[in-house]
Amino acid sequence: MYKIRNLSLSFDGHEAVRSASFDIPRGARLGLVGESGCGKSITALALLGMAPASARVSGSIEIDGQEMAAAPERLWRSYRARKVAMVFQEPLSALNPLKRVGDIIAEPMRLHLRLDRRAARARARDLLVEVGIPDPEARLDQYPHQLSGGQRQRVLIAAALSCDPQLLVADEPTTALDAHVAGRILDLLKRLSETRDMALVFISHDLEAVARVTEEMLVMYGGDIVERGPTAQLLADPRHPYTKGLIEARPRLDALTLRADGAPRPRLASIPGSVPALADLPKGCRFAGRCPIERPACAGLRPAVSVLGPGQRQVRCLAPLLPAKVPA
Amino acid sequence: MRNLPVSLWIGGALVGVIALAALVSLVWTPQDFATVAVSERFQPPSARYWLGTDQLGRDVLTQLMVGARNSLTIALVAVGLGGALGTALGLLAGAKGGWTEEIVLRLADFSFAFPALLFAIMLAAAFGPSFANAVVAIAFINIPVFVRVSCASARQVWQRDYVLAARASARGGLAITRDHVLPNIAAIVIVQATIDFAGAILIEAALSYLGLGVQPPEPSWGRMLSEAQTLLFLAPQLTVLPGLCIVATVLGFNLLGDGLRDLADPRREKAR
Amino acid sequence: MPFLLRRLAGLVATLTGISLVVFAVMNVLPGDPALTILGLDSTEDARAALSAQLGLDQPVWARYLDWLGGILQSDFGTSYAYRVPVTELILERLPLTLTLGLLASILTIALATALGVFAAARHGKAGDWVTMILSQLGIAIPAFWLSILLVLLFAVTLRVLPSGGFPGWAEPLEALKSLVLPVTALVLVQASVLARVTRASVLEVAKLDYARTARALGLSPRRVMWGHVLPNALVPMVTVAGMQLAGLITGTIVIENVFFLPGLGRLMFQAINNRDLYTVQALVLLFASIVVIVNFLVDMIYLLIDPRLREGRS
Repeated sequence: MYKIRNLSLSFDGHEAVRSASFDIPRGARLGLVGESGCGKSITALALLGMAPASARVSGSIEIDGQEMAAAPERLWRSYRARKVAMVFQEPLSALNPLKRVGDIIAEPMRLHLRLDRRAARARARDLLVEVGIPDPEARLDQYPHQLSGGQRQRVLIAAALSCDPQLLVADEPTTALDAHVAGRILDLLKRLSETRDMALVFISHDLEAVARVTEEMLVMYGGDIVERGPTAQLLADPRHPYTKGLIEARPRLDALTLRADGAPRPRLASIPGSVPALADLPKGCRFAGRCPIERPACAGLRPAVSVLGPGQRQVRCLAPLLPAKVPA
Repeated sequence: MRNLPVSLWIGGALVGVIALAALVSLVWTPQDFATVAVSERFQPPSARYWLGTDQLGRDVLTQLMVGARNSLTIALVAVGLGGALGTALGLLAGAKGGWTEEIVLRLADFSFAFPALLFAIMLAAAFGPSFANAVVAIAFINIPVFVRVSCASARQVWQRDYVLAARASARGGLAITRDHVLPNIAAIVIVQATIDFAGAILIEAALSYLGLGVQPPEPSWGRMLSEAQTLLFLAPQLTVLPGLCIVATVLGFNLLGDGLRDLADPRREKAR
Repeated sequence: MPFLLRRLAGLVATLTGISLVVFAVMNVLPGDPALTILGLDSTEDARAALSAQLGLDQPVWARYLDWLGGILQSDFGTSYAYRVPVTELILERLPLTLTLGLLASILTIALATALGVFAAARHGKAGDWVTMILSQLGIAIPAFWLSILLVLLFAVTLRVLPSGGFPGWAEPLEALKSLVLPVTALVLVQASVLARVTRASVLEVAKLDYARTARALGLSPRRVMWGHVLPNALVPMVTVAGMQLAGLITGTIVIENVFFLPGLGRLMFQAINNRDLYTVQALVLLFASIVVIVNFLVDMIYLLIDPRLREGRS
């Protein structure tokens, strides 16, 4: 459905995303993981043709066979909500405070599907039921500030689903919510993806949340996709030193089971240093300078992608880690 | 200084030129401003009358220079008085809190409800038009802004840790206000004064235009314009320069205020 | 509702306060009102006679209550200069000032919104710069000088519009023509400030997440701007608009004198020159009250715009 090839996004000649290539098949649930500033949010925006105007986009974004990377805004507009929709981080500020919930959800349907007021309202109510909001009829006439944080996020999801998109992009959708509520939103996203056969790109810095929702994940660092593979495998057996650092940095409550919530994590402790500014990233491997197993060649030479095992896993590292001895 | 805001440069230059003209007029003017010579009226610019003469044969440049002096003096004294009084009240309200603050702020709100120009016109009507009454009127309408600004910033300072520490060591409110609060709000008060200066110049010009400000024979830009207006068909050139002077001064102080605000609060500048 | 009641109580308190201030400044502070009316060169006898005639021998508070009571029955006293009830003078001139003020208000808001949105949409580009420079100039120009320049151009040079005066409502077209320049001068000056506020507010709101949400749902830039950004940007704009309208209302006082329009502002100016105390007092009170009431109505617009306020949060 989505085919992304060599997608690069650069600001003033500095690449914030460097030739990323991946597919999003129908109904797939893909995690996009990394620290803030790694390029994951801007990649997400590019999936909707909403990269900042100051960004130079190159490469190919193919949606259902249609090349979109250089498509005019008008074409993108007709794709948004109908083919791809997005859910943002802060559910309160992402909802127009002056509009009723029903109108927020109905607006894209009236615009794209040309529904009349009554039909749009009826569908909005059905959507509220689908995203698990009790007493939907009353909610339609309420304003965002009258809802709880979790309910606002559900409203935002309902608006995103209003025109039955094939792909939902969720950018840190639970960061602003408390743990219990966040967990239920994660389950909702997963369930919606399954029942609607809708693809989901789930962006997070929280590995537990990604493990809970997605089947496959991409790890990004400094604009590079450094590792990818099935989520469970990748978490159990990381091959890129950055992925390993990420996993080790999360607070461990229990070595085996993942925590069931999506609570925000403190800063990564086990990776020395911090993500450099865009202009200061090394030319070769982006992780050079912070990497515990760095070799002299790393900073100057961009590693090629190595395919591991039967082909499901890829890593961009000169010297990938050896397989961990995990019990099957 | 690196990276000074452009507005600071332009504003400073405009204000500088006008202020210089006003200062020079204290010691020297091309002609005497009150001298009337009807035989010399409507002269074009010449070596003697650099900018020509008006309907009574008075030297335009002299009128403009003394007008600058009068405008700036009124604005300076009025904003100074109003600003000092308003800031003092604001500091008091910020320090005392409670009922004092409530009453002072309510009074300020109330004064805001009264349009500045209308208030000045009313005072001029009640006490007769004069230089001093224009100063009093403009000073008065400047008080509430300073009350609000200084009270709001003072209250923030009072919440800070080092002030709490000073209070814990039993220092008096006056001493804390002098040592901690005043230095911290000085910048914002100065910015406010600069911007209010522009407003004061505009109000003074309007009052003088209506004949309620500076009285003849003392020249003022506003009255030069109202006199020139009656001669619009005869000598339209007389309407140009006094207006330009007002615009330059007001623009200058506005830009200066903007620039100073950016300097005082660099985050604002970045946000632009 | 509690919000509305609180605001109404505030409105009444403010209006009462204004009447007190006006009365005090015009009657008490300057000393003898008879002296104010008759001037310094008047005789003792004449002043005493006038004092008795005006009821000035009564205590101050009684005179205030008397005046206030009269106003509540729309009796502003008798004009000393014209020898007719002040109310009559006011009603005669009100339509012109009202027309001028309303026309200017509507055009100011329309122009400022259009310019502000235009500049914000071209943020950082030439259109933005030009608008901002022109508005900075507009703020610095006194309305009366702009008027003179307009007269110079359109009346003296081009001769397409009258330089002043008012032909009366009997000839509507001529009447409107004589209002073109006064309205233009008022609007250009007042819209400058408001346009800047609009631009800043729109830019602020456009950065917010819900503008992005709307875009992500496939709404066109125009729909995002007019349906989502501008309504939210209005909230801070409304306060400034209130202050601008106040400036505009007092601006009519000056402008009417520039163009010799026989409205309330011109009446006030003449009354001041004639030392017509009651007329000045009535007009100052009237202008101040209009400003306060306009600001009150503007506050009420908040209630219409923002659902969060309707729940009684202040």
